[in-house]
Amino acid sequence: MGFQSQVEKAKNLLRTRLCNPNFIIKPLSDSPDSNYCKLKFTISSSITEACNNSILLVGPRGSGKIAVLELALNDLLQEYPDTISLIRLNGLLHSDENCAFKEIAKQLCLEHHLLFSKMGKQRLLYSLLDAMNTVTSQAVVIGVSCRLDVDQLLEKRIRSRFSHRKLLFLPPSKEDVQRLLEHVFSLPTDSSFPHDYAAQFNGKLQNLLADDRFKEIISSYLDLNSTINHLVRFLFIVVSLWESKSGFLSLENFKSALSSIQRQPKQECIKDCSILELYILVCMKRLEVKEQNSYNFNSVMKEYRSVHDSFQTSDYYAWDVCLRSFERLIQRELICFTDNRAHGQSVEFRPVKLLVSYVELQGGLKSYRSCPIILQKLMDH
Amino acid sequence: MADTPRKPLRSPSKKPKQTSSSSISLTPQTPQAVDPPRRSSRRLSLKLDQITTPQKPISQLEKPNKDSLVEELETPHKLVKDSSRTRRNSRKNESTKNPESKTDYESANTPKSRTKVVEVEVSFSPASPDQLETKKRKRREDKDRKVITRAMASKMQRVNRRAIRRGFIIRKWCMMVVNLKWFSFEVLEAASEGSPRRGLDLRVLQARKLGMEVELPTPAKGKRRARTLREKLLSSDLWAAHIESTWKEMDGSYWFKGRWYMIPEETTAGRQPHNLRRELYRTNDFADIEMESIIRHCFVLNPKEYAKATEIDNEEEDGEDADSDEDWISSKDAESGTDEDIEYENENVKNLCARTSSAHGLAANSRKGQFFGLQKIGTKRIPEHVRCHKKTELEKAKATLLLAILPKSLPCRNKEMEEITAFIKGAICDDQCLGRCLYVHGVPGTGKTMSVLAVMRNLRYEVDAGSIQPYCFVEVNGLKLASPENIYRVIYEALSGNRVSWKKALHLLNERFSNGKKVARGDDRPCILLIDELDLLVTRNQSVLYNILDWPTKPHSKLIVIGIANTMDLPEKLLPRISSRMGIQRLCFGPYNYQQLQEIISSRLKGIDAFEKQAIEFASRKVAAISGDARRALEICRRAAEIADYCLKKSSSNLDATPAGKGLVGMSEVEAAIQEMFQAPHIQVMKNCSKLSKIFLTAMVYELYKTGMSDTTFEKLAITVSCLCTSNGEAFPGWDTLLKVGCMLGESRIILCEPGARHRLQKLQLNFPSDDVAFALKGNKDLPWLAKYL
Repeated sequence: MGFQSQVEKAKNLLRTRLCNPNFIIKPLSDSPDSNYCKLKFTISSSITEACNNSILLVGPRGSGKIAVLELALNDLLQEYPDTISLIRLNGLLHSDENCAFKEIAKQLCLEHHLLFSKMGKQRLLYSLLDAMNTVTSQAVVIGVSCRLDVDQLLEKRIRSRFSHRKLLFLPPSKEDVQRLLEHVFSLPTDSSFPHDYAAQFNGKLQNLLADDRFKEIISSYLDLNSTINHLVRFLFIVVSLWESKSGFLSLENFKSALSSIQRQPKQECIKDCSILELYILVCMKRLEVKEQNSYNFNSVMKEYRSVHDSFQTSDYYAWDVCLRSFERLIQRELICFTDNRAHGQSVEFRPVKLLVSYVELQGGLKSYRSCPIILQKLMDH
Repeated sequence: MADTPRKPLRSPSKKPKQTSSSSISLTPQTPQAVDPPRRSSRRLSLKLDQITTPQKPISQLEKPNKDSLVEELETPHKLVKDSSRTRRNSRKNESTKNPESKTDYESANTPKSRTKVVEVEVSFSPASPDQLETKKRKRREDKDRKVITRAMASKMQRVNRRAIRRGFIIRKWCMMVVNLKWFSFEVLEAASEGSPRRGLDLRVLQARKLGMEVELPTPAKGKRRARTLREKLLSSDLWAAHIESTWKEMDGSYWFKGRWYMIPEETTAGRQPHNLRRELYRTNDFADIEMESIIRHCFVLNPKEYAKATEIDNEEEDGEDADSDEDWISSKDAESGTDEDIEYENENVKNLCARTSSAHGLAANSRKGQFFGLQKIGTKRIPEHVRCHKKTELEKAKATLLLAILPKSLPCRNKEMEEITAFIKGAICDDQCLGRCLYVHGVPGTGKTMSVLAVMRNLRYEVDAGSIQPYCFVEVNGLKLASPENIYRVIYEALSGNRVSWKKALHLLNERFSNGKKVARGDDRPCILLIDELDLLVTRNQSVLYNILDWPTKPHSKLIVIGIANTMDLPEKLLPRISSRMGIQRLCFGPYNYQQLQEIISSRLKGIDAFEKQAIEFASRKVAAISGDARRALEICRRAAEIADYCLKKSSSNLDATPAGKGLVGMSEVEAAIQEMFQAPHIQVMKNCSKLSKIFLTAMVYELYKTGMSDTTFEKLAITVSCLCTSNGEAFPGWDTLLKVGCMLGESRIILCEPGARHRLQKLQLNFPSDDVAFALKGNKDLPWLAKYL
């Protein structure tokens, strides 16, 4: 087996791992304080002791709620193969009550255990929870949401019937992240890879993990959002940037991944604008500075003309050309209409607003390749 | 226990003599356990019959055409006689428990045919005092006999006599039955009435081509309510079959080939909500059965014919305190006061521990298929062995604290229950019961619905005892109706058993209540209508509520309405003409105070040593201070027990030597449960969120202090953040990153924000008090400078 193919194989393995939420969640789920253990205990004791429960899984997006739930459910389905049936509803897909009831009926042929993504409508929940309050039925309702105030959204009658088990999903600690990285990147030392390659790879990985610069990259990335999903997305880019030539993961991969993921779309958008579009943006900014709060294309054109008259710029374009670039700016959401009411009205009369801050605009002008100096001057006063 | 019924069936072919005795000594079985084996027992019986009647093909006669002898069915007075005889017989059968009468019994049978030791005739005596006992025995014997019956009320006979060939009884929903053909039946032969052992005078009916079953005289009406054959059929005590062909054996006994019918409960899917009360399915399951096991004739109709036939049905059903097709309202069924409900419950309880093998049966089949809505469909039974382990005190406590468990006693609501009882009794006993309407209100979890249902349960016993006159009870939940108008449909369905559109139902109900037109039998009984979540019925023009509340004011309507809702002033919010009809009699369920909550919890935990006393008091005080919701208090205690259980199990699994001594739920567990239930998790989330989110939140608070305005825009905030960052040596992340951070906080609702597309115009607002943010972020080790701005 050639070196290249080993590297390819290692790459594939890492990608497979990163795409498998169960694999990612596993190392964080073994302590008894983990949500996984608590959730599994609650569901399995509801099954064995024949009681009904309703559980809420709450946590920011990407914190692994569904992954933990799936892991627990998979285990339980193996443990009690004939007793659990599963119904999955999604608040986005089954936003309508009737639709949700139909879906339940459809899935019931096979299944019985309820799982909601996003709390649905209240009548549905009432029926479910009220049915659970009778001895004859047995169910566990699991609600998943990223809203912390989700239980406040429930109607009072439903809240009263809800059993209020709540599991909070928090981002992993620094130590957990370190463990996770090691778990994801280290190659297995069994026969699947040549022993010396795996040992070498793991050795380099250990060095990398201990490197302070590496830690800084990871923490600066996690400063934005420290959830597990967010981290995994980053790691996937790292693996994609890993070139087969080098054979081992390097710090460079992480650096370039960081710079490719931390981007400022608005500023880049300004870089792509034409000179005329920049003029329009600057004119709008000037209007706002003059505390003219409501303006439309015509007033922007007036400002543009007055700027041209006072500074005699070389870039003066006809009215319809300006209108076209004005429309392009709207499409790129650098400016927007202040209201959505007047749909019939033509573009030039509708009031607009700038959707980019002065600081960003200034920064954009500075980094613009061939920005006319007059524009920067106009920005300042 | 579950396979006992098979034994007597299997054995007769080998050792006929002993079977009946062995079958008799068998323990009665439960309705639950019966269902799955029953199908198989039919198949077994088929096999058995082939063994016992080897000559069948030879001796098969095409009787039907020859036997044109028509015998009159018995007249009503004879009927009474019969039933008295059958009752006597049933006593005999009861006594078959002791060996002496057993032999007696066998010898009585033997002359008829030797191969049929198992053919025990059963008398369906309804009036026997201990119904539980007889019924179970009957059930067992049914098995032995391979009887087919169509349970039917006596009217059937009368109809038959009049040669009206409009049968009814079973309304068929499924297509299998729609193509049923109808033929005239003649009574072929009366059973030998001389033999007292025979007991039942059997009318073997033969069909010319395709026939139907046979019937037993319906019993005279006893003091307590007797079960009719139809009810027995519908509860799987008797079976119905379609006679396909008949023949005579060498020994002179008549046999027929029967095609079984099935009640919905016996299908693999169990009873579904769309199944009607008397619906039957025709199967492809055939069996050869001896004529004598036939009890009587019954009629299976397709839905159209059934609908036409219902009038007669209702007229003729006068003998019994019938429950017209009301099964789809399960609560109604539970309240309608038939003895067998109670018996079933008893049996269920008894056999819960004894049941062993039917682990994979569908639970939907097990309780007479009584369920409604989501409650039972698709449920699976938990294997017994899972639940068999010995319960610890904590687990017992958890089980008894379940909301679903109905407590034995309902403490703290005696006064209210007395008031409801007085109201209903007064209304029922009053001949006119004009304008009887009670409005019950109180916050959720204060026992409103439970108290009313408990009162109705008690009244049912009084009806059974005969101290008050029978009534019908309809329960509707406003939140479970698809639209407010559907309430008419539900009420009409509950009263008459027919499903019609809500407009038609309104019309019919108006006719019944306003114009006093009594359509069906039993209409003269007072009707109690319980409407839960009454506020959901308020429509724009409030016509639904008006209609319903107007009926009781009509003379002879005999309608009593009990409305339940949360708000105290619901009547005042309605139109004056409605509030004047509803607001007169009210009953308030106040929130429980802490002593009451404590009593409720302790009454449930009686005899279980799992909770420290202070822990219960703490939980009840806390709940009483917040809402007085008993459900909440029970849930807190259950959660606390769960936490204690979790800790105990985890610690014992980790270190085996840990002493399991401290099994009590103490203050700390209750505290943890209360925290989980009442405290919003935002502080923890703020403590653990990313660094930029923390800076963002700090800037929000800072901005709030600076301007005094609760909301700000993203532009202002970003400038503040950049100020904070530059003055504290942090790198400013850039506007777009910051926007993302804000949107993420908005998703968790830590802040409220407009969509991110608004960018610098986006409005932001803290969703929690700024003190909470300050509390969460002050002690932060990574960013100690945050404290300056909080």
